[in-house]
Amino acid sequence: MKLNKEQQQMLEGKQGRGARKAVEILVAYGDCYNAERMIPVTSVHIAGNYPVLMDEGIEWLEDLAQGGTKVSVYTTKNPEMFDFEDSEELKVPEMYQERQRRIDAVLRSLGVTLTYSCHHYLVGNVPRFGDHIAWASSGSQVYANSVIGARSNRDGDHVALAAAVTGVIPEWGLHLTENRRGELLVDVGQLDLQKYDPADYKALGWAMGKIVGTKIPVFVNLPADLHVECVKGLLYTLTVTGGTGLVHLVGITPEASTVEAAFGGKPPPLADIAVLQEDVDKSYSEISSSSEEKVDLVIFGCPQCSIQEVQEIAELLDGKKLHPETQLWICTSRWVKTLCERMGLLDKVRSSGARIVADVGAADGPHLYLREQGIRVIAINSARGSYYAHNLFGMETWFGSTHACVQAAISGRWEGNR
Amino acid sequence: MKMKAKPVTAGIAEGEAIVSHMAISFTGGMDPDTGIIRESGHELEGKSVAGKILVFPTGKGSTTGSWQFYAAFKRGHAPKGIINVKAEGIVAVSAIITGTPMVHQMENDPLECINNGDFVKINADEGYVEIKKSKPDERR
Repeated sequence: MKLNKEQQQMLEGKQGRGARKAVEILVAYGDCYNAERMIPVTSVHIAGNYPVLMDEGIEWLEDLAQGGTKVSVYTTKNPEMFDFEDSEELKVPEMYQERQRRIDAVLRSLGVTLTYSCHHYLVGNVPRFGDHIAWASSGSQVYANSVIGARSNRDGDHVALAAAVTGVIPEWGLHLTENRRGELLVDVGQLDLQKYDPADYKALGWAMGKIVGTKIPVFVNLPADLHVECVKGLLYTLTVTGGTGLVHLVGITPEASTVEAAFGGKPPPLADIAVLQEDVDKSYSEISSSSEEKVDLVIFGCPQCSIQEVQEIAELLDGKKLHPETQLWICTSRWVKTLCERMGLLDKVRSSGARIVADVGAADGPHLYLREQGIRVIAINSARGSYYAHNLFGMETWFGSTHACVQAAISGRWEGNR
Repeated sequence: MKMKAKPVTAGIAEGEAIVSHMAISFTGGMDPDTGIIRESGHELEGKSVAGKILVFPTGKGSTTGSWQFYAAFKRGHAPKGIINVKAEGIVAVSAIITGTPMVHQMENDPLECINNGDFVKINADEGYVEIKKSKPDERR
């Protein structure tokens, strides 16, 4: 790979050991994919929280920050384990509090913007069409490529951090126009999509991810006015059962105004995949892992809830009380929580017995201590959240619509799809 | 037997080879507390890669794999060296952050010319791999 003078100097250690380590990572990574050069990035997002980093990961970050290493590009951070403001109320064990304080301190010293959010594109990290970015979070990465038209590969945290420090990324994969063309035609025209809610789009994404794998699919016959929550539901779930980084939604994705544009030429004469309702129905039972009806916790926010989603949940909870043995958490960013407070939603939600929790996501962080508090069966409206809560933390899960989940919190039992 | 290979990182490592014909994911696929491959149905399931020269086609799975590999390394359970048919980002980053000697694109297919138990030396500084075959009865 060709390095310019500045990158060469970094490699020689003339800009500190942090920059040297960062550029070493990028060179090894770029060489794997025969990248010819580095290109500037405008935005970085890093993902790992304590369950991913472990103690050794924190030490690695602390080592990177030694000597005053700083990010040179606007960099935001995914959710953590708990909200510092609620740590006592949530009974977070001191060991986890100490780890999160260390992570917070080292990110602060690196100059990372402490969003603790996975809807960072709603709270300030908004790339433009065509921007080269490094987002290490497969859900938002596919959203950036497919909805915004920014360009990011499926980079891990080490690569994203190295890009943040150096300001550049090796040019390969989805950074190059010729690699962004559609590879598979997916026709959803046989489904009655007018009746679909976001959970149904997640079930659809679950079924499709398994077939799509790492290829770039082109979806045709989606409603032109498809709600953003449905778009998110489809995209975020496709990257759970599959590994694709870009999805062309014809009529929605900026690079896919037509099916020809999506394929960069003539589309295949027949759809590679014609989805049937039975494929979608089957997903519901595959996503849920539980067979026990009693629900300990209903948890929303994978990705973190937007203000519109909180409003919808608050509306469903209005005048109701949660079952005494079931908790309900709405996970979101600090920004949305502040907005909820201003709009009276915080009190409204609290009076039902539910809580709004900032700085965490529903898929990972909190499950570490929730499990220790005896929470075993959860209900969730996110297929992604269900998958990670079950596979990484051993939770038993029910997956269904927002309405079915709220209902479970009120009755204490799962009565939704199965 | 000495063969050319393309370095991914620098350094020299030598030891007993453990060979997988299947791709490896460090997240969920390898236990950082033991170095044992735990992916169910994997060719190396139940076997430890700790302290060995790990030979496999390429990486797969979650990009968080480099954090898992780093933890395994710090706990003393990572492989000593890595030979890939074709390197992929997660494995390359894992090797670079731990200083693990790693090569790929060997002049002959490493999955064919290296067997479990062979004594293998990776010289990633000069770009070659040296293989000392074990006797068949020494193979595990």
